[in-house]
Amino acid sequence: MTTAIDIESVYKHYGRKVAVHDLTLSIAEGELFAFLGPNGAGKTTTIKMICGLLRPQRGQICVCGHVMGTDGLAAKAQLAYVPDQPFLYDKLTGREFLSFVAEMYAVPAATRDATVAELTEKLDMEEFLDKLTESYSHGMKQKVVLAAALLHDPRVLVIDEPMVGLDPRTVRVVKDLFRTRVRQGRTVFMSTHTLEIAEAVADRIGIIDQGKLIALGTFDELRHQARSQRSLEDIFLELTHPSNGAAGDVHER
Amino acid sequence: MSTSASVPAWLARGARPAGVGLLLRVKLRAAGNQLASAVAEAPLRFAMTMGFLVAIWLGLYFLFRTVFEYFQRTPLEAAVAIPLVFSFFFLALLVMLTVSNAIIAYMSLFAAPEAMYLLASPVHPRAYVSMKYIETLVFSSWSLILLGLPLMMAMADLTDEPWYYYPLFLSFFLCFVPIPGAMGLLLAWGVARFLNRDMRRKLLIGLLIVLAITVVWFLKTMKVGEAEAVRWLKQFLFRISLIQGAFLPNAWVSKGVEASMQDRSIEALLYLGVTLANGLFLSWLVLRAVSSRFLVAFDHAQSTKGWQRRAYVEPTAGLPGLVFFYLPHRLRLIAAKDLRTFFRDPLQWTQLVILFGLMILYLVNVPRYAGGQPLEGWGMIIPFLNFGAISFILATFTSRFVFPLVSLEGLQMWLIGMLPLSPRQLLAAKFAFAMTVAAGVAVGTTIVAATMLKMPLPWALLQITVTFAVSFGLCGFAVGFGARLPMFGQRNAARIANGFGGTVNLIASVTLVLAMLVGMAALGIHNRFAGFQGAIDMRTLLIAAIVSAFGIVCGVIALTIGARHLHRAEL
Repeated sequence: MTTAIDIESVYKHYGRKVAVHDLTLSIAEGELFAFLGPNGAGKTTTIKMICGLLRPQRGQICVCGHVMGTDGLAAKAQLAYVPDQPFLYDKLTGREFLSFVAEMYAVPAATRDATVAELTEKLDMEEFLDKLTESYSHGMKQKVVLAAALLHDPRVLVIDEPMVGLDPRTVRVVKDLFRTRVRQGRTVFMSTHTLEIAEAVADRIGIIDQGKLIALGTFDELRHQARSQRSLEDIFLELTHPSNGAAGDVHER
Repeated sequence: MSTSASVPAWLARGARPAGVGLLLRVKLRAAGNQLASAVAEAPLRFAMTMGFLVAIWLGLYFLFRTVFEYFQRTPLEAAVAIPLVFSFFFLALLVMLTVSNAIIAYMSLFAAPEAMYLLASPVHPRAYVSMKYIETLVFSSWSLILLGLPLMMAMADLTDEPWYYYPLFLSFFLCFVPIPGAMGLLLAWGVARFLNRDMRRKLLIGLLIVLAITVVWFLKTMKVGEAEAVRWLKQFLFRISLIQGAFLPNAWVSKGVEASMQDRSIEALLYLGVTLANGLFLSWLVLRAVSSRFLVAFDHAQSTKGWQRRAYVEPTAGLPGLVFFYLPHRLRLIAAKDLRTFFRDPLQWTQLVILFGLMILYLVNVPRYAGGQPLEGWGMIIPFLNFGAISFILATFTSRFVFPLVSLEGLQMWLIGMLPLSPRQLLAAKFAFAMTVAAGVAVGTTIVAATMLKMPLPWALLQITVTFAVSFGLCGFAVGFGARLPMFGQRNAARIANGFGGTVNLIASVTLVLAMLVGMAALGIHNRFAGFQGAIDMRTLLIAAIVSAFGIVCGVIALTIGARHLHRAEL
């Protein structure tokens, strides 16, 4: 299996604060990877380095074989990034924004129209797509940004907190979309605090805490690693806050 | 969607990454949509904006015309002063545009969510930087419409200029604008690349010191009467020659404009060519340099954004609590929170400091313009103008920064709404904060003005009372209308200020200032012969009392309306 994202011994610090410490991680093509961690653990820093927005002080990151530091444009052409705070131009309609993104990735007009129609139906955007995005709710913005990310059929989709603000039906649609993409050989790198979703859809899970990768593997492997048969939530709490174990036991009883 | 896991289509076809053309097209589309929605959704606001622009434009035109007319009374002064006016004008423009371009470039290149989005996509950094550079130049060119054109028209109106004066003046301006644009871009990049937050603060303080030294130098240059005339003229010309050096862009433009006015078209074209060549070369050089190292600077700016070397201990941490000592505890907490936010937002306090700093600079120099003599002949005109200027500056400040305060609390209403505070108390806390800042600065400026004009104490007290009243009225309007016509849920204070409620508040504030100015004009006319050196009679006191009461009553009414609405509203 070829590697979609290859992170090799990456360090990133902000002044004296170490955000990411010696992170090494490989995500294969056709894999849905869930990246978990407490607030300030280094998830968003890692994602921004994968997308070429931040530069590691040491180590390197490759996306589909392209080194981000030296061949950034080719690497960025292979991926799509959905930030936790969706960005849209306030004074464009959703449809105009999608056209802009399609043009940015040189998607032919016929493909663009077909894909926009397909995503509009799937994500239930018809009602608001021709209004200025300044009037959208968070969930509507999230849908448009997600559609924009999928327009050029990226090999790697990097997404920070994908389900925030989405209604239950759309959450289901998005989960199905992710699984479909993975079956098609695409890669999804997802950072989330919603552990149930990670547990339900991820092929592998990585847990980062204080900049260090403290656990990596499938859900079953994590259970084995934590010597526990409990939920991902319990495993996560056990690994990131070992003192919470007792509380977990009490809760379980 | 295609199922192929190969290279993307655009790479396979050998297509280039998204260029500046696409980015500019999307910006144009957004600007078109913005204009259309402004006209369709807020025609009143649009008409008001246009009206104010025309009013400012006409005001500047008549100001420039008066200055040129004054100089033209004596041909010798005109010959010396008019080129100097142009030289200073373009020097001031060079400095102002460099600073404003640097701020706009920094905010849009390194702090905007748009940067984060576009730089994660295959947009070449050069395309992004170029688009932002062009955007800042377009913003800068507003100064052409607002400042350059009235200057040009006023000059042409008084003298018989050749036809090519007009296109040459416009060309000079357009060729000049890229120079401060490029300098601003380079400055923004340098700040992002090399400075962290602590160092940026030190740089800001350093720049303020340099600015203060420059102002002192300028005032010394203009000082008349302390040296013998010939010596003074020599010193003056030497110092002035420093800002007219052959390597300074303002000198090229001012000399070029002067040549075009005097029918020396070849010389004017030569200076135009020099300006154009330097503008283009500097832009090319800076764009290349900044683009090639842009991602490094972007990374540094992002990495140092939330980082501080030490825990943030503000030297004035206890000040807000002391300032609002007279308020009940809970109200003091809200007012102190607003004051802390005010001090931590440079956009707010720098605007107030700059506007009132310029005002104080002018006030300190008022006696100089009369050759060091008291301004007896000016009667009540100068205090009247001072009052007008302070009031209009205050109206701008309250409309932009005080009006959005209540709306911005909308995001924290879950917190504010749970506190044991009534809406009336909440507005009282907002009003106390606004009055502390606005009246503090306005009354302080008035005291400086009264001192410089050597006003007798009763007259100074009268002026201070009326200034306090106008501050009360304007703060009352901003807080009251802010509560009556809020935009809860909007995070952007500028948008709240520019919305319907903000427009209503601005119109009301300007109307209040105009009404009070009419009262002050009546007071001035009544005392036109005696000036403020005379005694204050009953009629003067009565007028001042009516004007002050009017301001205070207006403020109270607006606050009451706002409090009632907030009380009824479901938050």
